[in-house]
Amino acid sequence: MKLRLCLCLATISVVLAGAAPLRPARRPHYGGALRVEIGATLQSLDPAGVATSREEADAKAELDALLYDQRSEDGTFVGTAGSGPFRLSSWEAGKRATFAANRDYSEGRPFVDSIEIQLGRPAHDRVVDLELNKTDFAPIPPEQARQAIDRGVRVSVSQPNELLALVFLGSRSGKEGTRIREAIARCIDRAAIVNFILQKEGEPAGGLLPHWSSGTTFLFPTEMDVRTAKEIWSQISPSPKLVLGYDSTDTLEQSVAERIVVNAKEAGISLVSRALPASGKASPGPVEGSTRGAAIRVDARLVRLRMPSPLPRISLTVFINRLGPIAGIVDSPVPQSASPEDVYYCERSIMNSGLIVPIVWMPQVYGLSARVRDWKQPAAGEGWPLADVWLDSTDPQ
Amino acid sequence: MLALLLSVGLVTAGVTVATRRAFDELNRQHTDALVEQFQREYDRRGHEVLNRVQGIAEAEPTVRMAIDLSRPNADISVYVNDARGVAQSHQLDFLDFVGTDGSIISSAEWSARFGYKMEWVTQKEDWATRGSFLMKLDTQDGPAVALMAVAAVRVGDKDLYVVGGERLGKEFLASLVLPENMRALLYLNLDPAFQPANLIDSTGPVVEAERFEPIIERERTHPGSLTEKINWTFDAASAEIFHSIPKLGRQNELLAVLLIGNSQRTVVTLQRHILWLAIGVAAIGILFGLFLSWWAAARVTLPVRRLAAGAREVSDGNWNTRVAVRGNDEIGQLAQSFNRMTQELVDQRERLIQAERVAAWREVARRLAHELKNPLFPLQTTVENLQRASTQNPDQFEEVFRESTGILLAEIENLKTIVGRFSDFAKMPQPELGPVDLNDIVRNVVKLFEAQFSAVGRPPITPELHLGENLPTIQADTTLLHRAIENLILNAMDAMPAGGILMMRTTQNDGNVDFEISDTGVGLTREEADRIFTPYYTTKQHGTGLGLAIVQAIVADHSGRISVESEMGVGTAFHLELPIKPPHPQATPVVVEEVHEKKVEV
Repeated sequence: MKLRLCLCLATISVVLAGAAPLRPARRPHYGGALRVEIGATLQSLDPAGVATSREEADAKAELDALLYDQRSEDGTFVGTAGSGPFRLSSWEAGKRATFAANRDYSEGRPFVDSIEIQLGRPAHDRVVDLELNKTDFAPIPPEQARQAIDRGVRVSVSQPNELLALVFLGSRSGKEGTRIREAIARCIDRAAIVNFILQKEGEPAGGLLPHWSSGTTFLFPTEMDVRTAKEIWSQISPSPKLVLGYDSTDTLEQSVAERIVVNAKEAGISLVSRALPASGKASPGPVEGSTRGAAIRVDARLVRLRMPSPLPRISLTVFINRLGPIAGIVDSPVPQSASPEDVYYCERSIMNSGLIVPIVWMPQVYGLSARVRDWKQPAAGEGWPLADVWLDSTDPQ
Repeated sequence: MLALLLSVGLVTAGVTVATRRAFDELNRQHTDALVEQFQREYDRRGHEVLNRVQGIAEAEPTVRMAIDLSRPNADISVYVNDARGVAQSHQLDFLDFVGTDGSIISSAEWSARFGYKMEWVTQKEDWATRGSFLMKLDTQDGPAVALMAVAAVRVGDKDLYVVGGERLGKEFLASLVLPENMRALLYLNLDPAFQPANLIDSTGPVVEAERFEPIIERERTHPGSLTEKINWTFDAASAEIFHSIPKLGRQNELLAVLLIGNSQRTVVTLQRHILWLAIGVAAIGILFGLFLSWWAAARVTLPVRRLAAGAREVSDGNWNTRVAVRGNDEIGQLAQSFNRMTQELVDQRERLIQAERVAAWREVARRLAHELKNPLFPLQTTVENLQRASTQNPDQFEEVFRESTGILLAEIENLKTIVGRFSDFAKMPQPELGPVDLNDIVRNVVKLFEAQFSAVGRPPITPELHLGENLPTIQADTTLLHRAIENLILNAMDAMPAGGILMMRTTQNDGNVDFEISDTGVGLTREEADRIFTPYYTTKQHGTGLGLAIVQAIVADHSGRISVESEMGVGTAFHLELPIKPPHPQATPVVVEEVHEKKVEV
C-alpha cells in the first residue's frame, strides 16, 4: 500500500514538472550561516574525481545534491554545479567549504545565506560539537545515535534505508558453495548486531529491500540458527578456511565482521576477518584487496548500500547493478515496467542464490542543533534538505 | 721443550677451566638474577593488573553499571562499548565486563564477543583473595597468554565481574633489564604441539625457533627448570646456554616457558685468547729454550767438541794440541786435564826420544867399539909379534914381518870397510825419482848374486822369481831400490846358512807395487822381529845392524811401507808396498809392520 502511494506521488511530480514551465519561487529570507560538520575529508568536488572511501563518496553525493538541480534515476547528478540551491563560494580541500545560497534556484532561494562545512570531523567530535552547540547539522553514525540522544543531542533518524549485506565473491560454486553460504547466513546473529552494535538503530534484514519499501515479508529467516549452521557446515568436507573482508575505514563494518566471525566460530565455521583497502565507490570494493603490498584473497565481504530511491524497482536495480558483478550474478534484469510482483520474484531469485546475504537495514541519523528549524527527514535517495531549513537565530553562539 | 709445552699446556688448561668455572658461576648468578627479576616483574605486573582491575571495579561508572544491570530487564547493550575505553584508560590489554550469569557485557579486546559466556568467571572462587594468575585466552588473533585478575562488584544477589589482564608477550620481555650477552625468550604454550611462531623475544618471533623444540617438549612433558646448550653454528662462540623456567596457570597447566639465554661468545673468546696467549707463551718459551740450548751448547758442548777435536788431533799424532780453557767448571777442569795430559805426552815423548838417542848412541858406541875391537886385537897381536920377532927371532923377522904386514893391511882394510858402512848409513842420499821397472831391478840384483847362490863350499840357494806381468813403472830412485833389494837378499842369504829357497814376488795392488822376498831360513824371534829395523841392531855375529835400517829408510823415502813376517825354523818374509806415484817423497814417515808368526801389528 505504501509502495503504491509512493509510486503515485512520484508519477504526479513527474507529470507536473513536464506540464508547466519552471520559475523561481518566492520564499522568505531568514538568513544566517548553517554550520555543518562531516567526517569525510573531500579533496575535490570535481564530478570526475574519485572518492577514496565510501564515506567520501556518500558525502560528495550529499554536497552535490546541494549544488546540482537535477538528479538521474540511479542517483547521479546532471546539469551544472551551482544550479542547485547553493553555490560553492569557498573551498579548502579536505578542511572546509562554504556554500552560498543560490538566489536563482528554481525552487526559490534557501532560507539560510550560507552553509559552512567543516570537513574531516570525526564522529565522536561531531556529537560533542552538537552537544556543545558548536555545529548545526552533522550526520551521525547509527551506532552512536543512542549515545547522542542520551547526551541530549537532537537527533533525526530516517527509515532504515541503508543495507549492510554480506556478499560472497562467487569463488566457490556448486553444492559446497551453497552450503558454505547457507551455513554462514544461518549463524549470523542479526538481532545482536542491531541491538548491540547498532545500539538498536536499525533492523535485521531479511531481503534486498526493506520491508517498508517492498511491502513483503522476509525472504529468509533472520534469526540465528547455530544448530542448523553446524549441521550444514558438518556436511562440508574438508572444511574450508574462509576470509571475510571489510572496509578498513569503516568501524561499523569491522564490528559487524568481527561479530560474524564470533558467530561463525560458535557454529564451528572457520572464518576470519580481514581489513580491505578503502573503496572509492559507494559500491563494494575490489574482490581482492591488498594491505602493505600483500594481496588478500577474501571469500566474502561486507557491503553498505544506500537505497537510491524509495521505489523498490529502482533500488533493486541499482543494488543488482552494484552487487551483481561482485557476486557473479550475471543475469538478473529488472525490467523498466516491472510490476511489484516482478520485483519480488527478482529479489527472491537473488536471495535464493545465497550470494548476497542481507544482514541489517540501517537508518540515516543526523544531529541537529536546537536552532535548526523546519527540518524534514529526507526520504531514501534524497539529499539533505538544507535549503528548506532556517535558523532560529542568526547569531549562533 | 716437552716440559715447557707440558707446563704451558697445564697452565692453559688450568686457567681455561678456572675461567669457565668463573663464567659459569657468573652466568648462573646472572641467570638467577634474571629469573628473580622476571619473577619480580611478573609479580609486580600481577599486582598492577590486580590493582587496576580492582580500581575499575570500585570506580563509580562500574558500580553504576552493576546497579543498572541488577535491575530486571536491564538493557546491557548500552554498555557494549564501555570496556574498550576503560581498558585504554587503565592500560589493560584485556578487559571484560561479565554479568552474573557469565555473559560478556562488554569486551575491550574482542568487542564482538558480547553476549557470549565466560563461564570460568562464575565458578566458585574467591577472586578477592585469588590475586593475579596466568591464563590462556581466546582473542581475535588466536589464543594468547595473559596475566589476569578478576574483581567482582556485588549488587544485591547479582555480581558484575571485571576481568582484566595484560598480555604476556614481547612487551613484557622488553621491560626486563638484561645483562650483556643475555637474552630472554618466552614460549607461549598455546597449541597442542610445539609451534616455532609461539617463541618470541622482545622484538617478535625468534629466528630458528625450531631449535628450541626439545627444551619446550621436555617442559611440556615434565615442567621444571632445565638447562640446555644450543650451538647455533659450528663456531663454539655462537653457542648459548638456555635456562628454562615454566609458568603454570590456575590449573597447573603449562602456559608459558621463560628461556634465559647466556651467550658463550665472551667465555669462548676469552678461552681463545687464553689459548693463543698460551701458544704465544709456548712459542716464546720454545724460542727461549732454543736460545738456552744454543747458549748451553756454546757453554758446554762446544768445549766438549773442542776436547773431542783435541783428542782426535792427539790420536793423529799431534801431541802439541791444546784446548782453550774457559771457566773452572767440569768442562774447564776436563780441558785443563786434557792440556796437562798432552803436555805430559809431549814431555814423555821428548824424554823417550832423548832416552832413545842416548840408547842409540850407546848402541852405536858399543857396536863401534865391538866392530873396531875385533880388527884392533889382531893389529895389536901382530905388532907385538913383530916386536917380539925383532928382539927374539931376528932371523925370522923378515918372514914374520911379511905375514904381519899382510895381516895388518887386511885388518886395516877391514876397519875401512866398517867405517865406510857407517859412513854410508850416515850419508843416505835423497831419492831421485824417475820411472822405474821394479821387475828389472829385481832381475839385475838377482844376477849379481847368482854366483854367490851357487858358490863352492856353501850350500846352494835357489832363487825363485814370481814377477808380475804388466807391472806399471813406479816413480822411484833406481839406485836406492837396487840397494834395498840387495840388502834384503844379503840378509836372506845370511839367514840361510844351510841353503834354501829364496822367493821374490812382484804384484800390483791398489795403486801400489808390492815386492815380497822370503827365505826358508832360521826365522826370527818376536823380539828380533820387533827390533829388526832398529839401526845397529843385528842378530848376526859380524853384522853392522844397518842393512835393514837402510832398507827401511829407502822405503820411507819412497813413501812406502815395509813389514816383516817370520816364523822360527820356517823362514822370514819381507813385504814392501811402493806407491806408483809417491805423493811427497820423505813427507810420509815409513810405516813399519813387523809380523812374527801370525800377523802382528806393531
